[in-house]
Amino acid sequence: MSSPEDGSPEVRTISEPVKLSIPVQSDLILLARLTAATVASRVGFDVEEVDDLRLAVDELCVLVADGVGAGRLNLTFITTGGGVEVVCTLDNLGTAVEHDGGEHGERDLSVRILDALVDEHSQEFENGQRRGWLRKRSVRHEHS
Amino acid sequence: MTPPMRRPHEIRQSFMDYADSGDERLRNRLVEEHLGLAHQLARRFTNRGEPYDDLVQVASMALVKSVDRFEPDRGVEFSTFATRTIIGELKRHFRDKGWAIRAPRRIQELYLAVRPAIESLTQELGRPPTVVEIADTVGASEESVLEALEASQRYRTASIDAADRHDSSMALRLGQVDTGYSGTDDRMLLALSMADLPEREQMIIRLRFVDGLTQSEIAARVGISQMHVSRLLASSLAQLKEAFTRDS
Repeated sequence: MSSPEDGSPEVRTISEPVKLSIPVQSDLILLARLTAATVASRVGFDVEEVDDLRLAVDELCVLVADGVGAGRLNLTFITTGGGVEVVCTLDNLGTAVEHDGGEHGERDLSVRILDALVDEHSQEFENGQRRGWLRKRSVRHEHS
Repeated sequence: MTPPMRRPHEIRQSFMDYADSGDERLRNRLVEEHLGLAHQLARRFTNRGEPYDDLVQVASMALVKSVDRFEPDRGVEFSTFATRTIIGELKRHFRDKGWAIRAPRRIQELYLAVRPAIESLTQELGRPPTVVEIADTVGASEESVLEALEASQRYRTASIDAADRHDSSMALRLGQVDTGYSGTDDRMLLALSMADLPEREQMIIRLRFVDGLTQSEIAARVGISQMHVSRLLASSLAQLKEAFTRDS
């Protein structure tokens, strides 16, 4: 596939959100990472940015599922102009779970890693519901 | 001895003082105060076949680089800046070691083409390439390149499985060799290639990868420096890699 004439990477859009639902099982987070990488590649992220998003989605899943042994992670990948947004929610199958099951140090580290890898992120843990969100834009698109 | 914890504003002041004076004592203290971060991030990449000590070394070097390059008046927290730098160096470390990925042969072979393609395209384009550009260069599909990149970045998620929270990781299971891919052949080839190495190098490789000793422990046992162990390991593994590439 050729790039535009000015040498900048070609941007392809994904018109519909990409949705993924996986059991809370650590070996299946691979699917979330691969989906993140595929979507990021599709919107023209360079290889470093693809890697950053892949790691960030991994951390987001861990934060949302922290301390939970069952349930499903529902991820939605949305492409915006030159960027990707990811929403991750936990469907805990009716069992309300407070966000106190994990180790604070690990959670802090996950947040710190997200600070370093993406432009914006947030986590909401209220009334047994958990939701994580992040947004990453390609550096080239930020400057364009 | 670990210096006492300081408040964020004191650390920020230290960075400003260091930026003004270049005082090595300030620099050393700042590095020491953040070594925990380097260890934590190194741990995120463990259990994928790369010695933890080596990862800590990479992370620590990146930390020193972060302290030297940090500009306190830019309004970014040092921990964020350092985290980004350290993760970047760890990613590069794994990218450079990509030949050792525990993945199916076709992915390993593709990665051997992907890695130099990233380097040459980065130079040619003046920016990191996209996955599509890499795929075009190596003549593979975008999906395959993504798969190879995934396999090369041996990132360790803190386990989210309640059962294995403290003693396992997703990455451990992801890292298992696909038994459908000539494992027996590889083992035979490894044994033959090992026999070509000098006795001391064979012993060091066994101590490192069979007995699981750290480089420092091997150094003490063999009676040479840790740096020497590191060099011998690197040259021996390069020799084994060459044998694998040539014979497989």
